[in-house]
Amino acid sequence: MSAFFDAWHYDGKSAVRRKVEVQIIGPQFFLLETERRHGPFAFSDIEYVTHKDDADVYGLKEMDGWRLMLSGPVPTDLNAMLPARRNYGGWVDRLGFGKAAVAFTLVSAAAVAVVLLSPQWLAPLIPDSIDEKLGDALVGDFGGRFCSTPAGDAALKKLVASLDANPADLQVEVAKIDMINAVALPGGNVILFDGLVKQARSPDEVAGVLAHEIGHVREKHVMQALLRQMGLAVVLGGIDGNSGALVNNMLAMSYSRESEAEADAHSMKALGGANISPIGTASFFDRLSEMDGSAGSSKSETGITGYMSSHPLSRSRKEAFEKSIVKGKNYKPALTQAEWTELKTMCTQDRKAKSGFGFDFN
Amino acid sequence: MNDDVSQRHSAFRFHGSWQEFARIAFPNLLLTIVTLGIYRFWATTREREYLWSKTDFIDERLEWTGKGMELFIGFIMVFLLIGLPFIVIQLISQGLIFRGETIIAAVVTLMMFLLLFYLTGVAYFRALRYRLSRTYWRGIRGGSDDPGFQYGLAYMWKSVVGWLPIFLLVPWSMISLWNDRWNAMSFGPHRFSATAEWKPLMKRYLLFYLVPFLVFVGGIVFGISMAASGGAPNALGSTGIAIGAILAIIAVLSLYIVLPLAALAFYSKYFRLAVGGLRLQNLEFDFRARAPDWILFFLANMAIIVCTLGIGYIFMPYRNWKFFIDHMEAYGEINVDELTQSETVVAKHGEGLLDAFDVGAI
Repeated sequence: MSAFFDAWHYDGKSAVRRKVEVQIIGPQFFLLETERRHGPFAFSDIEYVTHKDDADVYGLKEMDGWRLMLSGPVPTDLNAMLPARRNYGGWVDRLGFGKAAVAFTLVSAAAVAVVLLSPQWLAPLIPDSIDEKLGDALVGDFGGRFCSTPAGDAALKKLVASLDANPADLQVEVAKIDMINAVALPGGNVILFDGLVKQARSPDEVAGVLAHEIGHVREKHVMQALLRQMGLAVVLGGIDGNSGALVNNMLAMSYSRESEAEADAHSMKALGGANISPIGTASFFDRLSEMDGSAGSSKSETGITGYMSSHPLSRSRKEAFEKSIVKGKNYKPALTQAEWTELKTMCTQDRKAKSGFGFDFN
Repeated sequence: MNDDVSQRHSAFRFHGSWQEFARIAFPNLLLTIVTLGIYRFWATTREREYLWSKTDFIDERLEWTGKGMELFIGFIMVFLLIGLPFIVIQLISQGLIFRGETIIAAVVTLMMFLLLFYLTGVAYFRALRYRLSRTYWRGIRGGSDDPGFQYGLAYMWKSVVGWLPIFLLVPWSMISLWNDRWNAMSFGPHRFSATAEWKPLMKRYLLFYLVPFLVFVGGIVFGISMAASGGAPNALGSTGIAIGAILAIIAVLSLYIVLPLAALAFYSKYFRLAVGGLRLQNLEFDFRARAPDWILFFLANMAIIVCTLGIGYIFMPYRNWKFFIDHMEAYGEINVDELTQSETVVAKHGEGLLDAFDVGAI
């Protein structure tokens, strides 16, 4: 700070610097040069621009480049007429740094909470027609990859009917894709991949996985996940690319694990209701756990990684299904041997269905 | 009223200190975190206000008059006009792949890529225009009346021409685009003239271009000569293998070390040529940093970031600006009477595009 008060002026029309004195007349002022007088200007038009070294810089509304720079101890009568300094920007300056930081934290936490929690009660409010249209748009005829034989279709229909009370609003299909995977999509679409059906050792195993996917449909997980992803994308949109995506994925992942657990619970209940033994599903996860490494072996197989990445470790799931076995209960197979053979060979029999996928997804 | 620039040590001087900058950068970091990233637009503004106000050009400080709100609006515009449509298009093309319409999906994706490519060019242009229009010196600012849509096209075809002959014309496209950009800009009433030449850049570019080949060929020649002189592998045994392994490690390391060094050497020459070809009326500009300066600067930045476990990252805007100003030089003279206000339009939104694409440039 220089000891003396100094005022400099640029008129915004040329780059000439002018040493001036400020002459205050009520709500207005003049800038006096040795031989010239600039003004009058209204104090109400004065804006704070910036702080430059030891000077505060003021501008004038609607006058591009007009500057008044004041350094040293500003006379009190002038100081009283000038707008306040800006430091952090409007809101933060008004509240003060500490309070603003706390307020922003609360608002951010509330926004994230709403985005994470609201899909649970928003998803059921979305009309079924939208859900179905979305499903149709996304799945269509799956590029002609759905397999169909009369006997195979009948077996699949029987399986679905035994696991769900309202099989009419589910579209369950087997796709000719050699991956151990199954997906639930909007509009009640459930797709079992042929690779999964082929490697299953009993119809009970397929029933467990199918009931799991039906669980996703019934619990509205697909729509919830869509809403949550969209909400997170908006809320975290302000954060730079990578870190935002990382936080987004971590939050989405923790929720998807929760959904998987719910779907598993649904599956166990449905199996119990259909009198199908969960031991098949448990042994299916046992074999998976050998492939995903949670049993200590690291044999990996393409296709399995996608299914595993968002799912709880196969080993703990196997144990959960084993625990759900009711001793002494009279379980019966999910399908007869003939039906099971038809389902298993459906994609081999159906020569019209296109095969392969060309890319990985989960 | 003439200022003879050449008599001074340097027309550009920077007076900032990192301690002062820290008092801006740390609160910025905190506010950015608690607002889920939204404050970063105001943070950028505050940092620029500081850096500009600590920068002398001849006898007056620079002034940054950009507002956080402008950058925020730019970001929102990009999100609504580009981000959202792209998410929708991506969903549609995924649906198309699901349905087996891979060709249409490929065409849609290609169109999306071309549009992004075009907009990247426009973004580079508009970011420069925005920065000039918010930079004041003695009450006078810069700018451009060109909206940059033409430049977007030039950016596309010149980049492609640069890549086509196995990337050999990249220096030409870089210099030519720099000239295109700056020839459209002005400060006050004067238009910039950019006449940098690209041919002097070729030697450095070839150096960078040939490094991988030289390392590879060198390795092979060395290996052959070793094999020829080494005689029977049994005679040398494990020492021979050890020497081979060490050589392989040296080759890989030299790629990782030599390649960035060669890139910096190239960039240093590029920036020197590009700035050296710049004129504003009677002013000529020069950038004095040579390859060793850039390399030291780069290594120091890495060291700061690593030693502070990443927190030093917030000082990078300070370091970049200081490096830039410390090496900028201007010769010639300015007539401040003739340096009248710019009549270019002032866009109300900031560098949204550039910000969204995450490209930083001086």
